[in-house]
Amino acid sequence: MRKIFLFAALLLGLATPAFAALQVDVTQANVQPLPIAIPDFVPGAPTDAQAGANIAGVVRADLERSGLFKPIDPKAYVDHITNINTVPGFANWRVINAQGLVTGQATLQPDGRLRVDFRLWDVFGESQMLGQQFFTQPENWRRVAHLVSDAIYQRITGEKGYFDTRIVFISETGPATKRVKRLAIMDEDGANPTFLTRGDYMVLTPRFNPTAQMIAYMSYIGTKPRVYLFDIETGKQEMLGNFPNMTFSPRFSPDGNKVALSLETNGNSDIYVMDLRSRAIQRLTTDPAIDTAPTFSPDGNQIAFESDRGGSQQIYVMNVDGTNQHRISFGAGRNGTPVWSPRGDLIAFTKQDGGRFDVGVMRADGSGERLISSGWEDEGPTWAPNGRVLMFTRTIQGGKGAQIWSVDVTGRNERRVLTPGDASDPAWSPLLQ
Amino acid sequence: MSQSQSQTRTRGATAKGRPPRPTTARGPRSGLVISLALHVGLIGATYLTWHRMLEPVEESHAVPVDLVTIAQQTNVAAQAPPPEKITIPKPTIEQPALPAFAQAEPAPEPPLPKIKIQPDKSDKPDQADKKPTNQDFAALLNKLTAAQTPPKNAKTGTRTIQGVGSANLMTASLADALKSQIDKCWSPPVGAPNAEDLVVDFDLRLNHNGTVASLQLSAGSIARAAGNAYTRAAAEAASRAIYQCQGQGYRLPPEQYNEWNEINPLRFDPRQMMNQ
Repeated sequence: MRKIFLFAALLLGLATPAFAALQVDVTQANVQPLPIAIPDFVPGAPTDAQAGANIAGVVRADLERSGLFKPIDPKAYVDHITNINTVPGFANWRVINAQGLVTGQATLQPDGRLRVDFRLWDVFGESQMLGQQFFTQPENWRRVAHLVSDAIYQRITGEKGYFDTRIVFISETGPATKRVKRLAIMDEDGANPTFLTRGDYMVLTPRFNPTAQMIAYMSYIGTKPRVYLFDIETGKQEMLGNFPNMTFSPRFSPDGNKVALSLETNGNSDIYVMDLRSRAIQRLTTDPAIDTAPTFSPDGNQIAFESDRGGSQQIYVMNVDGTNQHRISFGAGRNGTPVWSPRGDLIAFTKQDGGRFDVGVMRADGSGERLISSGWEDEGPTWAPNGRVLMFTRTIQGGKGAQIWSVDVTGRNERRVLTPGDASDPAWSPLLQ
Repeated sequence: MSQSQSQTRTRGATAKGRPPRPTTARGPRSGLVISLALHVGLIGATYLTWHRMLEPVEESHAVPVDLVTIAQQTNVAAQAPPPEKITIPKPTIEQPALPAFAQAEPAPEPPLPKIKIQPDKSDKPDQADKKPTNQDFAALLNKLTAAQTPPKNAKTGTRTIQGVGSANLMTASLADALKSQIDKCWSPPVGAPNAEDLVVDFDLRLNHNGTVASLQLSAGSIARAAGNAYTRAAAEAASRAIYQCQGQGYRLPPEQYNEWNEINPLRFDPRQMMNQ
């Protein structure tokens, strides 16, 4: 009897509880822009109402343009924000399917500066995700709106934003027989377009310095194409180096201190790097083929370039001292105009195949090649400073002019960038300081 | 017990003429054996029960601190923001009074599987390759995106439910039913350079009516999210998906609540989708 009891006790001690936790792997997704509500910023005083509406309008437009957010039409709101220092009634925002909510305030200060506050709220979690405050001159309100957009973008996606940037491009106006090409600059959203040159001479392939408000480009001021540096703030222009021969295809190093360019001698082009401070110049390629379009990796240790040494234009990579030159593009057609992403993970390029021009990306070892633009003649990509978005030139079929288009690195959200008239050769500035 | 028998009192019948068993402090051998067995049993049971709770210590990442100076603007938090909490608290769920236009219409759900509980005819308990023959359940499998292919020598047999060890039950149908309700709300940050940064694990507990009772990121995911902005974005996107798609409650068979009341881990892994 006692033995039975002992044995039963033994069994009871050995019995384990049932652990019934289900295991689930979600691997399919439905990638959609995040629905977000951005009501007009609350005015500090009634006279601030226009500023509050303007700023919210630019933030809504920025986030919508990125393709990752879907600002809900303010007409659908059922609630009204009057005080950004109280917690919102989240049920009223859930009801219109908002997953994010931005509340903000704009107030002109007694000292004449404009103060802008905003908060980003998680509607499901009912908590604040971000809160910031800016002071600026009132005429800079657009920049503040872009800084707000950048902060929201970064908090939600994990990536740095790109709205507080500018685009330099070649603007084309006038009749087909007398085209005027001028260097122009505008905000990333197309606002404030300004001409930088008068159009007396041709300007091509502008490229931005990653650390300063300076552009390098190619121009035919004399008879030969030469590389020039242009200071945006002062408007001053200087020729880069005094080479007897043609120089073209300039690109800055990531620290902004060097320019890689292509120098032509007797029909042969090679890649050189010039130090902007010492003006010392170093030759990197000696191949008899045409080597051009150099681009630095963001760590400054490598250069990708275009060469036809293999028989057709293809993309090569070498160390910044010219060693280890090796080909990385093996896909169809001709591949050129490489541009290394600021994120370092990808190289954008133009593929010419079967009469078409397309913009694509590949990894730095040449693998993972894929096309991301869908037009008939798309070329000349430039990266946003966050390495996520690109712009490129699209030529309308039939030679009916050129436009600038943007696309996400995933190939999504291809859309036209509004410019005053025709435009080409976009170059994306770094984030403004 | 052996101590209590160490009195000089004979035990055991002497009726058959056998000598009485010794009852000194040495005690009957059986007492020592039983004691040992019980101790082993206790330690073994403790180990079996609790070993699952032992997790390897996750390497914790240093949390980066950004010191930002902006020339023309000051960046002062308008209110002291809460510390970076990744554990998602349970929100108060309000029943919206508005009509259906405010909610996206979900696709019609396939019929729930009707599981018949049969008396235990099969002898072997742990056959993971048993399939129910119920037609509704087969239809559910056919309609799901990730179709389950049965293993080669699968025997179709009756479905059995056992008391102890119900973790051995084939729960693929429940997992797929939940997956198909969540994934249409899941929008991960697919522009990230490394897809493996975006893999995140949760511990989800559901109420009887299928609504979220609690949602917690796993310790490993919390550590990774603290050091990687993409991981944090992925965790937040997954959390939003879980709350957005619950509606009036996830639709799972109520009679199987003890099997789906906790989902751990609930993993979100976009690598296949991103071809990485």
